[in-house]
Amino acid sequence: MQKWRQALVVFMLSIYTAFAAGPFLWVATMSLRTTTEISRDHFRFPETLHWEKFPDAWFNSNYGVYFTNSLIVVLSAVTVLTLVGAMAAHCFARYRFRLNRVFYFIIFSTIIFPPQITIIALFQILVQYGLFNSLVGLTLVYVAFQLPITIYILESFFSRIPGDLFEAARIDGYSEWSIFWRIALPIALPALSTTIILNTILLWNEFLYAVVLITDEDKRTLPLGIQRFMGDQMEDIGMISTGLMIAIIPVVLIYAFFSEKLIQGMTAGAVK
Amino acid sequence: MATVLLDQLCKRYERSHDLAVDHVSLDVAHGEFMVLLGPSGCGKSTTLRMIAGLEAISSGELSIDGKVVNEVPAKDRDIAMVFQSYALYPHMTVRDNLAFGLRRRGIDGAEIARRVADVGAMLGLQPLLERKPYALSGGQRQRVALGRAIVRDPKVFLFDEPLSNLDASLRVSTRGELIKLHRRLGATMIYVTHDQVEAMTMGSRICIMDRGKVVQIGAPLEVYRRPANVFVAGFLGNPPMNRIAAAIEGERLVLGAARLTLPVSLLAAARAAPSIVFGIRPEDLAQAEPGADTFAAEVTAVEPLGAETIATLRLDGSDSELNARLGRDAVVRVADRIHLRPDLSRARLFDAASGLALDER
Repeated sequence: MQKWRQALVVFMLSIYTAFAAGPFLWVATMSLRTTTEISRDHFRFPETLHWEKFPDAWFNSNYGVYFTNSLIVVLSAVTVLTLVGAMAAHCFARYRFRLNRVFYFIIFSTIIFPPQITIIALFQILVQYGLFNSLVGLTLVYVAFQLPITIYILESFFSRIPGDLFEAARIDGYSEWSIFWRIALPIALPALSTTIILNTILLWNEFLYAVVLITDEDKRTLPLGIQRFMGDQMEDIGMISTGLMIAIIPVVLIYAFFSEKLIQGMTAGAVK
Repeated sequence: MATVLLDQLCKRYERSHDLAVDHVSLDVAHGEFMVLLGPSGCGKSTTLRMIAGLEAISSGELSIDGKVVNEVPAKDRDIAMVFQSYALYPHMTVRDNLAFGLRRRGIDGAEIARRVADVGAMLGLQPLLERKPYALSGGQRQRVALGRAIVRDPKVFLFDEPLSNLDASLRVSTRGELIKLHRRLGATMIYVTHDQVEAMTMGSRICIMDRGKVVQIGAPLEVYRRPANVFVAGFLGNPPMNRIAAAIEGERLVLGAARLTLPVSLLAAARAAPSIVFGIRPEDLAQAEPGADTFAAEVTAVEPLGAETIATLRLDGSDSELNARLGRDAVVRVADRIHLRPDLSRARLFDAASGLALDER
């Protein structure tokens, strides 16, 4: 009986793995094949590995620029999000002040608006302040867009840090600011990793705001760059696949680096 | 070493009508081990937190070493506190936990290393210095918390129920270590607990609190023997002092169906109150043959504890229940009717209306 159950679990997991990893493997094989080869047969394993497509995409198809733009925007946005989000979460979780919960609710309630609703207004605001079609403008929008959920995730973690620790540090002579840096932040590392990964993946793949707020070729981020290869008449599937692989690599790296902390963050409090 | 003086200290929380700490006055001398004792919610921890500077003082004055510190932040009061949860920084090693407070105070590295080594040796923490708190047992964490306070060499040590998370045997041994530590350091210590055994064994003096107020301050045995009111009588001791409604008839005390001859000193005090409560410790009742100054009671429960036998009894001619601590060889059974002779020289009389001891009024 036990064996059958185990077999069933393995079977279900295999199906799920195939479902999740299949498209990824497919794109991976296509990234090493040319568009002509792909048109002949969509599902073949590459006969010759066209590694040269990667430098080609990077240098000749402008992927290097897109990649750098994405890196600048996402790195800056995630850094600001993590710092401001942590400060706000610490503040909401730690200090009793008038209207604490009201402010918290107002900030958090903004997640109910779908981006499509705010995008026209955002467009106008950015134009007005000269931030339209600039990486700074896009970064600020990303920060504003992801801040509520970041605060929400971090606040629930910060509020579980025992207050005695902060009081002990106060008696030890530390200011509120140092307590945040030297006690709250290091203890919240698992939760910070969770938000870093979530924000990085989400913003790295973000398309809607980027396509509306960026028009210049040299300011495009990766998702916009990949979209450039989708024409009305012809799609350069081979190059899109190579571009997608270039886009995926940093996400995989950051996940590999932070995943242990991510799991800790998600299971924090669940196991003593 | 330092003195701590609390003068009419009050704490009122926002949106609360009652005072959490109600005009508490207390004078802790140089090198004294003062225990704040009381049931949970009596305001003892709040009082300690006000001394620490973790809680704002609503009114009254707090002085450390003669200097009023009401507005002085916690870090500048030169106190160290051991928390019930130990509050060890989980991301730091034991060594860093010990050194954390010293680094802030601009003490140079060599001196910090020396002090950490000294405290490590004193508390047997040396093999643990590179471990993080999660890799320590409860007792070891407790010692690190203690070390963190000692290493600072503060004027005053504050303890907020530091032993309540330890198991029974460890609690007893740590209690002993704390007493030794106090003797060795000679420091002023203020210790909050709801455990009367800790209070009795550790304190130079005990300050008993109830509903935010101080009800009695005194040396452990003095407080035990001469409780200032019915609350203290019922709070200290296990089982606590028996409190039985009584009356005065001529020269004698009426206790249920019995008539007892009171010592002259008690008689004078008893006459001043319209109704009185008679207090006697269970160990001051002895099984006796029927006769003068004894009373009869029916045994309702017996707890043979080995070293002694605790009997619960119902007094003849009254609904009052009382406990008697009988010798280990006492042979009593439920439903037995026995006679007890109270040691009246150790009895206390309380005013039934105010609850205050009659000689304390």
